[in-house]
Amino acid sequence: MSKQAMKLINLKKTIGKKQIIKGLDFEINSGEVFGFLGPNGAGKTTTIRMMVGLMKITEGDVQILGKSIRSNYKEAVREVGAIVENPEMYPFMTGLQNLNHFARMIPGISKERIQEVIALVGLENAIRQKVGKYSLGMRQRLGIAQALLHKPSVLILDEPTNGLDPAGIREIRQYIRKLATEQNVAVIISSHLLSEIELMCDRIGIIKDGELVAIQSVNEISDTEVEKELLIHVQMEVKPPKSAIELLKSEFELDAEFESGLVRFQCPKERIPSIIQTFVQNGISVYQVEVSKARLEDKFFDLIGENSIG
Amino acid sequence: MVNFLKLTQNEIKKVYIQKSTWVLYMLLALIIIGGGILTVTTDVITKEYGEDTWKEELQEENQKLTKEMEEEGLFADYNTSLIEINNYYIENDIRPLGYNAWQYVQENAMLVSLVSLFTIIIAAGIVANEFRWGTIKLLLIRPISRFKILLSKFVAVLLFAFYTLLFLIILSWIVGAIFFGIDSFNPHMVMDKHGGLEYVSVIKEIIFDYGFKLVNLFMMATFAFMISSIFRSSPIAIGTAVFLMLAGNSIVMFFAEHSWSKYILFANTDLTQYVGGNEPLIEGMTLSFSITVLVVYFVVFVCASWGVFMKRDVAGN
Repeated sequence: MSKQAMKLINLKKTIGKKQIIKGLDFEINSGEVFGFLGPNGAGKTTTIRMMVGLMKITEGDVQILGKSIRSNYKEAVREVGAIVENPEMYPFMTGLQNLNHFARMIPGISKERIQEVIALVGLENAIRQKVGKYSLGMRQRLGIAQALLHKPSVLILDEPTNGLDPAGIREIRQYIRKLATEQNVAVIISSHLLSEIELMCDRIGIIKDGELVAIQSVNEISDTEVEKELLIHVQMEVKPPKSAIELLKSEFELDAEFESGLVRFQCPKERIPSIIQTFVQNGISVYQVEVSKARLEDKFFDLIGENSIG
Repeated sequence: MVNFLKLTQNEIKKVYIQKSTWVLYMLLALIIIGGGILTVTTDVITKEYGEDTWKEELQEENQKLTKEMEEEGLFADYNTSLIEINNYYIENDIRPLGYNAWQYVQENAMLVSLVSLFTIIIAAGIVANEFRWGTIKLLLIRPISRFKILLSKFVAVLLFAFYTLLFLIILSWIVGAIFFGIDSFNPHMVMDKHGGLEYVSVIKEIIFDYGFKLVNLFMMATFAFMISSIFRSSPIAIGTAVFLMLAGNSIVMFFAEHSWSKYILFANTDLTQYVGGNEPLIEGMTLSFSITVLVVYFVVFVCASWGVFMKRDVAGN
């Protein structure tokens, strides 16, 4: 049921002699929230600029519903709504004047549609105030309203949670999920913070130095090679802990430590069943096994290198 | 297809919704009204000439002017020409109109340079500000070609110039009507044309005076628009355009000895050099030569503006 909304084909960008984007290949489906993750300077915004035609594509192509942004710009961009970088609007106009301004640039947007979008982002009360007086959260919401006016098939949000408070982030997360599930919009969200987009994305693409280093589904546990070798944090409540630690050392060559009633160690996920089996066979009671949730984050740092996060 | 009118409407709205634009209009209004008050409070003008006594009044005026010249040695040229004009009325038995709204409008033709300045300010900001505000990104990700977006901005600049010019003319006329009266709806007066004195239609003179000044306005606005589009900075655009507007004539004079000086833009913007027996600035120049030079400059400005704007990668600042 999910069809391809946007497709990147060997997308490259060279500025001067430097290759900024080194061949991106992936697609985003309708109804999916796709996280575009990478440290600052990895090429996220450059990629987004090429997606919407703000920057010329050096090589490759971006297709939106099968229409090329290079050769069929108007029809392709008609299907896109976006905020690129900050949600900048005309500060001397009211929210409504801003929306009317952008509505006039695309045929077929009714007054009702404008009101509908305002209601969707919850700006009814502030819509007649000048944007210059808006808080960053309100500007972000107005930015989303502007991007949704023409009912795009693809919504691109560049760092949408930048500068928002936790409540604002939660709110935006809810809109985005709603848009994807109810309106079947493909949403692309860029961020340099995994924790922020982990919660709202279906898939995450990780970009580093202009290259896609991994695409990862958030919910399903995949058994990729990387996954198998990756160490995860395990905490166990066992009795007696001392013999458990000794067993881990002798049988599995793992260094475990005992802390606040739990035995903690790191090992590949695959080995957990055999560890439990060995414990049971040796008369150790297992009360609880907990695998740390930060798996994805570990992977992220593993892939991009911890120091490069900016 | 997006209606081009809607794009232009957007651009015009953005110009007039800003308070700074209204400051410009208030300044212009202040000068027009102030000029009117100044003229009416100093008694250099005659409001009306009596039906039967106008000839005596003119002769009286002449005597006063002559006295002024002889006793104080002031304004010799100016007063002589005024006396000549008065004599022309008397000899041809035409009762002159008093100073009226039409004449005030005509005198305010010099304020077109202020309109030029305002138009330069608007033209300088109309592209650069979108970059400064960051809104250029939202403007360009619409199903509209960049060519059309820029064209709508250029048309908006021309419309601004047109509206401001109308404002200048209409307000001058209203202020003139209040202070000096209207007298006639087809006023004529004697003027010192370069072939000698002539009895001419004031409205025709107004159209000529304003019309010739528009050439300079149009070229400088296009120039500022080009700089705005290329450098994305309104201060640079305002600075260079205003500097060139003020220094234009000096530049021509400075290079006047060189044969190529006739190709300088400012040698060609004043087309009055070809009418009414005036001498062209540089020998050998003709009206069609100047028009050709102006067209070439305009095409260059436009190509540079559009060429850069359409090719540019829009990145952060």
